[in-house]
Amino acid sequence: MSTLNQCARAQGIVGCQHCHTVTKLPKDIAENQCVRCPVCHAKLESRIAHSWGKTLALVLAATFMFIPANILPIMNVTYLGTGTPDTIIAGVMKLLKAEMWPLALIVFVASFVVPIMKIVVLFGLLITVKMKSQWRPVGRTRLFQITEFVGRWSMVDIFVLAILVALVQFGNLASVDAGLGALSFAAVVVLTMFAAHTFDQRLIWDAMND
Amino acid sequence: MREERDKQKAHLRVCGECDLLQKTPELQAGQLIRCVRCQSIIEKKRYHSLDRSLALVLTGLILFFLSNMFPLLTLKAQGVEFDTNLIASSIELLRIDRPFLAILVFVTTIVVPMFSLFGMLFVFMSVKMRWHNEYVGPIFRYLHNTQVWGMLEVFLLAIMVAGVKLADLAEVIPGISLYSFFALILVLATLGSTLSPDEIWDHEREAQL
Ligand SMILES: [Zn+2]
Ligand SMILES: [Zn+2]
Repeated sequence: MSTLNQCARAQGIVGCQHCHTVTKLPKDIAENQCVRCPVCHAKLESRIAHSWGKTLALVLAATFMFIPANILPIMNVTYLGTGTPDTIIAGVMKLLKAEMWPLALIVFVASFVVPIMKIVVLFGLLITVKMKSQWRPVGRTRLFQITEFVGRWSMVDIFVLAILVALVQFGNLASVDAGLGALSFAAVVVLTMFAAHTFDQRLIWDAMND
Repeated sequence: MREERDKQKAHLRVCGECDLLQKTPELQAGQLIRCVRCQSIIEKKRYHSLDRSLALVLTGLILFFLSNMFPLLTLKAQGVEFDTNLIASSIELLRIDRPFLAILVFVTTIVVPMFSLFGMLFVFMSVKMRWHNEYVGPIFRYLHNTQVWGMLEVFLLAIMVAGVKLADLAEVIPGISLYSFFALILVLATLGSTLSPDEIWDHEREAQL
């Protein structure tokens, strides 16, 4: 019999992360054998395999890439033969100078605050999970859900670059080229999105189950 | 006896966020239920109309193709004009030898949005026409999985930022596709707020189990 309001894994029960179908895992399940959800055929895992290590590796890589993403120019605007390289922060400054401060604020948050927040939150979650911390699990769960949701907005700078590259093709008069900073920045966005994807938030609650 | 057990099973839920096993009451449209431990939403039923969702998906598909057929923005300087649309923005990145960026932009603005529109069309049609097939579950699951990688609304913000940046360099003219693109974002947002995934899953559970 199953006990309500207890951890499902301890009872050999797993809830599908996609269609929420509840399945009882067979007792004599071999190692490396994969059980699939009867409704949506997703792989059923009580916890994502090696979630902690994979997330750590991705977050470390993202942190490392964040440095060149902010130092190297994200785009190179050539205007009348003279090129002016633009970093992420320089791009925000230009929007401020044009007195478009709402847009400047959005871009600043999306391409600077959000990536830093994502990296800090994921590191925080990894550390508290490792320490089996019982500190505010509801708050940490909420923080993770927000992190998972807002990360995509960081792509705005990459899209701006794509649009400018396509539009500004006036040869020597004016042209736009992508800098190495853009590659690093895109890598940060992709790595943190994958990190949020491999982090299993159910780990936060494992310390509460004992 | 078996029926009784199935009924109980149907109301058993495991919170996806904290893995707590719990019993939930049968939900009516417009209701949602939160986990007793972590307060995350574990089930939500909306006033979902399959016909309306289908109409929105079809509108979305038309708008998506319109957004790719005409220019989104045109830049005019010294009598020379350049324009861009959704698909050109990723292809142009290949011209400056940035394949990684080109693929990233192509996947997030073309592949994933197109997959989600066609995928939803297939799922809704299957449910409506009662085409029982084993693909509905996996496809609906992939739709949910790839959702965060569809970034059309982020692209709309980028169009605005690019427009402002270019305004002092040359004349920026909004293209026909900009209007269809804007409408597309509205349609997708409406779709996202009327869609009731738990209802589709309930339907699938009935069909499969
Ligand atoms: Zn499933
Ligand atoms: Zn919960």
